[in-house]
Amino acid sequence: MREMLSLLRFDVRETFDSVPWTVYHWVFFAFQYFVYGQLVSRLVVTLNNYYFYYGTGLLIIMTFNISTWAGRRFVEGAHEGRLRYLLSLPFTRGELFLEQVLLGIVVNVIRIGPPLVLVLLIVGMPFTSLLTSLLVLLGMSVGIMGMMISLSFVAFKSFDIYSAIVAGMSAVLIRFSTVLYPLSSMPISYGTVSRFNPLTYGADLLRNALNFDVPSLLNPELSVVVVAAVGVSTMTLGMALVPRALEGVKSS
Amino acid sequence: MLLDIAVETFGLTKSYGSTNALDDLNLKVKKGEILVLLGPNGSGKTTLLHLLATVLKPTRGTATVMGYDVVKQSLKVRETVGISFQEPRGFWRHKPYHILSFHAGVYGLRGDEKEKVVDETLKAFDLWPSRNKRFMELSGGQGKRLEVAKLFVHRPAVAVFDEPTAMVDLEGKRMIWDRIKGLRDAGSTIIVATNEVREAEYLADRISIMRDGKEVVTENLRTLKDSISGGDVVEVEFSNPASAEVLSGIGTVPGTVRVVQESETALKAFVNRSEDWLPQMMVLVQTLQAKVTSIRVSEPSLDDVFLHYTGDVGVKRTDA
Repeated sequence: MREMLSLLRFDVRETFDSVPWTVYHWVFFAFQYFVYGQLVSRLVVTLNNYYFYYGTGLLIIMTFNISTWAGRRFVEGAHEGRLRYLLSLPFTRGELFLEQVLLGIVVNVIRIGPPLVLVLLIVGMPFTSLLTSLLVLLGMSVGIMGMMISLSFVAFKSFDIYSAIVAGMSAVLIRFSTVLYPLSSMPISYGTVSRFNPLTYGADLLRNALNFDVPSLLNPELSVVVVAAVGVSTMTLGMALVPRALEGVKSS
Repeated sequence: MLLDIAVETFGLTKSYGSTNALDDLNLKVKKGEILVLLGPNGSGKTTLLHLLATVLKPTRGTATVMGYDVVKQSLKVRETVGISFQEPRGFWRHKPYHILSFHAGVYGLRGDEKEKVVDETLKAFDLWPSRNKRFMELSGGQGKRLEVAKLFVHRPAVAVFDEPTAMVDLEGKRMIWDRIKGLRDAGSTIIVATNEVREAEYLADRISIMRDGKEVVTENLRTLKDSISGGDVVEVEFSNPASAEVLSGIGTVPGTVRVVQESETALKAFVNRSEDWLPQMMVLVQTLQAKVTSIRVSEPSLDDVFLHYTGDVGVKRTDA
């Protein structure tokens, strides 16, 4: 465990070595929220306070992207030779997998934390909501990371196919969900598809945690179960698939 | 006998689809020796090292390192083996100091002891002036020295080097070779994979020649050279033209493979074990009252041995 924490420190240091890249995430969020969010929320008249809705949606998209990055980093590590070094160190495969997930969580907290505080400040939410909303976002991120890392076995065959799958999943999962628009405003067909999307449950759970009054938010208890189940199942799948994929693949 | 064995493989096989990168390999590495794996590209050297370091899992067969099974006791194996990879890659943004410090920490070094070891290793591998450069700013040779230096931080019981001096200049090569020998002298068992014959010649206690994922032969250098039939070449010059009797007599000396008359007064004999052949030849020549004015002996180089076992050079191996 101590060795794994050494690795976590080492990886965190490398990830945040580039300050501009971290600042970029915050600046991107600010531009998107203050410029695009302001303008688009004026056009949406059927939903009260779409500006807030959009802000939380943007936070979920950032979480999704950062969690996808964590999966991609894992895959790139295999192609660049970093992972085979880590595989030779005295950790169990489970510890190594856990470290990758913890790294994703740390990166999420640092990159999502300030935008989340900003949104809460602007909408005047109490800071007690910060912890619960952060927990929801991190719960979602664990599920997404588990999914992306589990998919890494595809990347060992072809990085291009992996990239295409991840981009496609990103497009579908975000569009067919309540990340940017609520179930109540969707056509029935879209709504039906969105109810099978775990991101819908995460997005609604976040808004529930922030007491956002939107009609037809999904039941929070059910959403907690779905988010937790997705996190646990994708992690379990990843821990089962990835070592087999890595150890059976010739290093490049 | 088993107590003397550090690494042992039994029918070790690694397949990728229908290709066997390693094919039914049986190999023993003695404790405290430097075993050099010599073979052409694609002969399975790197795959073997990765299997021993538990980076890969075998498709069939087993391997033990200091008695630990690489599959069933992989964590114990990882605590025992250190590997220096062929290409130094990975931590682009980190600095050599941090990379070695992390490596030392993972293997249990802490505080002042860790700092001391890391500093000494950086200096020993001429990396001290570059310790605060990012990895991506290092030259190929510096990156390679850093990759090798990792194993000198924690000094594993079994140290595995994959082409340890590729990309390194001549001075650096000699430095690394001497340090690897030093590691052996301090008690580590060393396995070096290379296709550089000079490296093998300098380092090896024993050489294992590999081809197509299989071990072709494992012996010490002397025995390998002696194993080439007619590999020793003896050039003999006489004061007078050599008679037919002398020429045919030399052809009958035990160990002679072939005799070629170069001129009236000179001949070239291709023999096995020239050190045994020469005294017998001299007795014969004296008996026939011929006067020898010069003798020059050349033995096969490791290049010849390597090509003999991995290429097709038309020389038969002595099976004796």
